[in-house]
Amino acid sequence: MKQQDLDNILRKVADLQVFCEYGQRTLPILDEISSFMRQISSAVEDLNAVIEVAIVNIPKAAGQLDRVTQATTQASHDILNILDRMVGTLDEVVTVVSSGMMEKDLNDATTKMSGVVKMLVEKSGWDEDIVRLAETWESHLQHLRMTGPTNNLERLLKDLQTDCTEIMMALQLEDITQQHIGAVMGTIDGVAEGLRKLTVGFFETAETRELPVSTPLPLDPELVGERERKKMVEALLEKARTGEL
Amino acid sequence: MTSMKILIVDDSITIRRIISTALKTVGYSETVEAANGKEALAKLENGNVDFIITDWNMPEMNGLDFIKEVRSKPMYSSLPILMVTTRGTEHDVIEALQAKVNSYIVKPFTPQELKEKIEGILKTVQVNTL
Repeated sequence: MKQQDLDNILRKVADLQVFCEYGQRTLPILDEISSFMRQISSAVEDLNAVIEVAIVNIPKAAGQLDRVTQATTQASHDILNILDRMVGTLDEVVTVVSSGMMEKDLNDATTKMSGVVKMLVEKSGWDEDIVRLAETWESHLQHLRMTGPTNNLERLLKDLQTDCTEIMMALQLEDITQQHIGAVMGTIDGVAEGLRKLTVGFFETAETRELPVSTPLPLDPELVGERERKKMVEALLEKARTGEL
Repeated sequence: MTSMKILIVDDSITIRRIISTALKTVGYSETVEAANGKEALAKLENGNVDFIITDWNMPEMNGLDFIKEVRSKPMYSSLPILMVTTRGTEHDVIEALQAKVNSYIVKPFTPQELKEKIEGILKTVQVNTL
């Protein structure tokens, strides 16, 4: 049944009512039908207006979500590119440090420095403060020789590389969010399509339209929280291993 | 570094890059990539793939159908497959296991987790082929 059909019925009921009144055979049921049809007609008109607004707004909202997804993906790529460059540079620096080139430079510098300090002590005529400075320098030098000058630097650089990898791993969130947005967008598209069909021929048997297969709305996991879900997965894998599943 | 060639199947280029980087940090540097099951089947035919890491939700051919297709070929019946996905319901895991996936990770994951899963699968596969 369409809006036009509804209007026709309403007109016929009104004609019948007039005819009955004219023939002094007013039936209460005709009054009730007439009033009911008028109410329906007005409700349908209201619903139509709401649906028309929704049909325009829903694709707009879906488009905005799509743009958000694209922008997030682009940002993730940019971050990944920068991190890739950082990891590459850190790799080069670690290679230089571990090859001992810096250690050699440092050894040359400390040898020169030791010579200068020794000369300073002699020239000062064994001044108490200068002697104390020379002793402090010697103790620092011993410490440097024991720990190795590059060990700490190498460790720090490797820590930086680990940090870069952790940032990369955190970008998985972008994909997880995108999958959920994709599922919501599939549902929104389905609703918009349903509404569009409703306005074309409401009350008509509309053919059911399935949502895109690639974007099913994810089921709520039985277990909330990453750790709990991983535990559940491990328990199932163990059952599969032991043949219980 | 090991010489094992790993096929990474995921429609998200970000995730493919992340998995590839994670694999490199734990010693697996040789990887090939595919954006869906169909593309992955072609890559599988082209090269000597030793291990598959696949997502579930993908266009064209999803991960589950891809695994079923791979397992239907006798030459790939024992090829190690690890599923890495956001799908984390009990029903999902059981369905994947029934499709004969070797192991399963719910995203997000860490490089260490990935390494442990790969090593675990390889151990099991070795034991089974002895």
